[in-house]
Amino acid sequence: MLPQSISSRASKLSRRDPTAPLRHIDPVLIGCTVALSILGVIAVYSSTRGPGPDYSKSYLYKQTIFMVIGAGAMVFCSVVDYRKLHDWAWVFYGITTALLVLVVSPLGSEVNGAKSWFSLGPFQMQPAEFSKLSLIGVLAFLLSEFRGDVDIRRLVALVATAALPMALIMLQPDLGETLILLAITMTIMLVGGLPTKYIAVLTIVGLVGVVGALNSPLLADYQRDRLTAFVNPSDTSNAALYNIEQSQQAIANGGITGQGLFDGPQTKLGFVPEQETDFIFTAVAEQFGFIGASTMLFLYGLLCYRIWRIAQVAKDSFGTYLCAGVLAMFAFSAFENVGMAMGIMPVTGIPLLLISAGGSATITALAGLGLVLNVYMRRFQ
Amino acid sequence: MDTSSPRLRMSILGVVVLGCFLALFARLWYLQVMEAPALAVQATVNRTRTVATEAPRGRIFDAKGRVIVDNRTSLIVSIDRNELKKVKNRDDLIARLADVLTANGAPIKISTIEKRLSDKKADQLQALPIASDVTEEVIHHLSEYAEDFPAVSYERKTVRVYPYGTIASNILGYTGRITAETLKRLEPGTDPDGVEKSYQPDSIIGLAGVESTYEKELRGTPGIELVQVDFKNRPVGTESYQPPKSGNDIQLHIDIEVQIRAEQALVERLNVLRGTAQRDGTIRGAPAGSVVVLDPRDGGVVALASAPSYDPQEFAVGITQERYNQLQDVNGASALIDRSITGQYAPGSTFKLVTAAAALSNGLIDGNSSIYDDGVYRVGNPVQEFTNAGKEKYGNVNVVRGLTVSSDVYFYWLGDRMDGTTLIQDAAAAFGFDKRTGIDLPNESAGYVLTKAEKKALSKKYPDAYPNGDWYTGDNVQLAVGQNVIVVTPLQLARAYAAFANGGTVYQPHVVWKILRPNSTTTDPSDVLRVLEPVVTGTVTLPPDVRGPIASGLEGVTSGSGTGASAFVGFDQQAFRIVGKTGTAQVDGKADTSLFASYGPALSPKWVVAAVMEESGFGSEASGEVARRIYEVIANQALTGAGTATNGSMD
Repeated sequence: MLPQSISSRASKLSRRDPTAPLRHIDPVLIGCTVALSILGVIAVYSSTRGPGPDYSKSYLYKQTIFMVIGAGAMVFCSVVDYRKLHDWAWVFYGITTALLVLVVSPLGSEVNGAKSWFSLGPFQMQPAEFSKLSLIGVLAFLLSEFRGDVDIRRLVALVATAALPMALIMLQPDLGETLILLAITMTIMLVGGLPTKYIAVLTIVGLVGVVGALNSPLLADYQRDRLTAFVNPSDTSNAALYNIEQSQQAIANGGITGQGLFDGPQTKLGFVPEQETDFIFTAVAEQFGFIGASTMLFLYGLLCYRIWRIAQVAKDSFGTYLCAGVLAMFAFSAFENVGMAMGIMPVTGIPLLLISAGGSATITALAGLGLVLNVYMRRFQ
Repeated sequence: MDTSSPRLRMSILGVVVLGCFLALFARLWYLQVMEAPALAVQATVNRTRTVATEAPRGRIFDAKGRVIVDNRTSLIVSIDRNELKKVKNRDDLIARLADVLTANGAPIKISTIEKRLSDKKADQLQALPIASDVTEEVIHHLSEYAEDFPAVSYERKTVRVYPYGTIASNILGYTGRITAETLKRLEPGTDPDGVEKSYQPDSIIGLAGVESTYEKELRGTPGIELVQVDFKNRPVGTESYQPPKSGNDIQLHIDIEVQIRAEQALVERLNVLRGTAQRDGTIRGAPAGSVVVLDPRDGGVVALASAPSYDPQEFAVGITQERYNQLQDVNGASALIDRSITGQYAPGSTFKLVTAAAALSNGLIDGNSSIYDDGVYRVGNPVQEFTNAGKEKYGNVNVVRGLTVSSDVYFYWLGDRMDGTTLIQDAAAAFGFDKRTGIDLPNESAGYVLTKAEKKALSKKYPDAYPNGDWYTGDNVQLAVGQNVIVVTPLQLARAYAAFANGGTVYQPHVVWKILRPNSTTTDPSDVLRVLEPVVTGTVTLPPDVRGPIASGLEGVTSGSGTGASAFVGFDQQAFRIVGKTGTAQVDGKADTSLFASYGPALSPKWVVAAVMEESGFGSEASGEVARRIYEVIANQALTGAGTATNGSMD
């Protein structure tokens, strides 16, 4: 909802100025966002309300609050001209990088063996989520400055800029977020006109990096198990495999029409772990079935298509690169998260944006969509 | 082509993202539409556990509809010994448990609990019953303070009740917990509705007697509850529940009244004889004996007594090793053996029925062929002498008199004349000796009747036990009087006399008569699921010129100069004429085996009674006396009409 003062002013402006931003908001993108957000809140409540009859509503309230804050962030990111962010990109990058340093310091709290959170009273903040957006910003800024003219020196600068937050996140360690940063980096560099030979080299380096990370001492045994469970599904000693099996059975249990809202026995009885975050797709799929889950994926796909279109119609390359980054953030998070739940991607803990419970991820996702909307609204200015 | 063109790069990105989403859709379709049925079944298996409740077993009725095996509920407290090992204050726990039991009306000593716990025979994996038939108060206390009693559990169980106590224990058998090995191989039956009566590791099964042979009928359909559990295996609800259903009832041919009399008469007679001297001065051990009562018309088993016997109730609640050992030695004999179907005895003179039938039907003699019996029969060169019992001289003897007075000499002569043939063995086979009868009880023995060839083979196989493998005329002479080369079971003996009584039909003896619906009444014909039809296993040809002389000879036994007359003094033979044969089989160094095989009433035989008593002396004075007391009950039923079965409508 836009404040009354802004909308009334917008209507006055629009009559005079056909390029006015508010004349060009994207209803499809906003519609998809709203629909997915509502579905997310329902899914989070369904996964966390417990067996009853005294249903826990704390996650429901928290997630609603995050959605409201996220909506504010989205409005803010769409209203302020994105070209002004151009100048602030490094500042954001600096702040999030500093937070990433602090979170692995004694200030951060350790949950499940990973130091990824700051505890702020009843809430936790996960700086890695915000660093996705700041990395998008700074890489889009750099590549738009380079105007497709990237030599070795500039490549090194780009790689170093991307590698710093990735390395810090690996220290937590959080392989999932690192991989998303890698996907964002590769996407922006691809779209940003990096010479094909560099792209090829980076792809190889990236693959080597992933393999290296797998064998690095930074990874706990359980993390390695999760990843190899995907590669080696017949290893019965692997506990992670149990999660994948239970998750796939829960999804299958949904069938075509689903078990009904709040009525997925496999998820309800706790056979699927982390179902309000990493495995939330199973809750959606078991309760709403193929019809519900594929509708959700379709909305996600439509959202990604809109971002992709906006990247193409952007007024300048900075806008294009921003959109490409946000697209990578959404598309690869969804692919990894949903793919993991269905057993076609390795188990790494990353949220399904807009659906999973979590403040940092939700606010980051909505802020990212605000930026995309921003680019779209100002494509004629 | 410019590979760095923004349009191309955007297109590549679009294709990659589209590919990702298509992969997700494909996988979702696969999981939720194609593989869903199989995976969903797996999911159901994961989140449910099956909890089975044993159903009551079917009841058992006697031929007249009296309940002889029933059920009742018992509250049982058990200790899981594996869990007990993990308990820190083990002794304290046991002391507290003893206190709770004692304070709530189920007194028990700590030492008793310890003794039960140290029982090595019990299955280590199962919770061990410590106290049965405890009060509701004990259960209340244990459930209220459950956390104070780790490793202790309690359950409500249906257990067997035997209204007649130990009566017919050899027939009924007992029940007990299934072993892991049995669980693997036992094929479950189905109930009248076609539902499988599955077995669980703590199922109760029939372990002996009818409980064992009719396990498939008697077993109830377990109650199956599908309990929904959460990921920590904690029950959260019930997905489906199928209540337990009682097993089929069964009705036996056994007449509990006759059975009671058979057991009492047997035990009482053994007690009277035990320690006394028989005619030649040998002290009677009288440790054991058995009685078989058959219905010659269809092979129905009316009574089957074996002494000593045991109380099946002891097995129902769990028996200690010590008590088990005791039961294996009661007066020098095991109480756990049913001698009526497993005991193997030389039939002695009771076998003369067969020898006479062989000689008559093969034309060697007729009813009048006689010889002079001077008390001794001489065979071969060098001469071997065979004598009558007590060297009695009977003078002129034909087959009729030979049977009545039991002239051994007459039958030695028949044996001598049939030497070199298998006429006696063939007749024995026709009467059903030499083979198991096929009775519907477990562990039946077969007995044997040796032929020349078989003796040779035996000697070759066991040279120590049978040093001489040759067949002598003496062997045939001994066979003719049921000695040395022949052993039979009391059941086989009874069946042979039943075949003679009914005119030649050899039936398979049957304990069970009808299979009835669960919770049936024995008076409602619609409760009958099926009637076990008589099975004919063979026939003996008994034309009048064969059957007549033998019947006359046997009829004389129970009166006048007959060998069994003394046992029937005062018995009203006008009203109920008894036909029979005594037998006194010699056993080296011990008192004789006393036998009596008979049927009655003479003209329309409805009962066959055979009794065999170990180390008890002359035929009539032990077995004959027992048979007479049984006939008292039978004759009373026959003459007063008390013998009518209540389920007679199905006859």
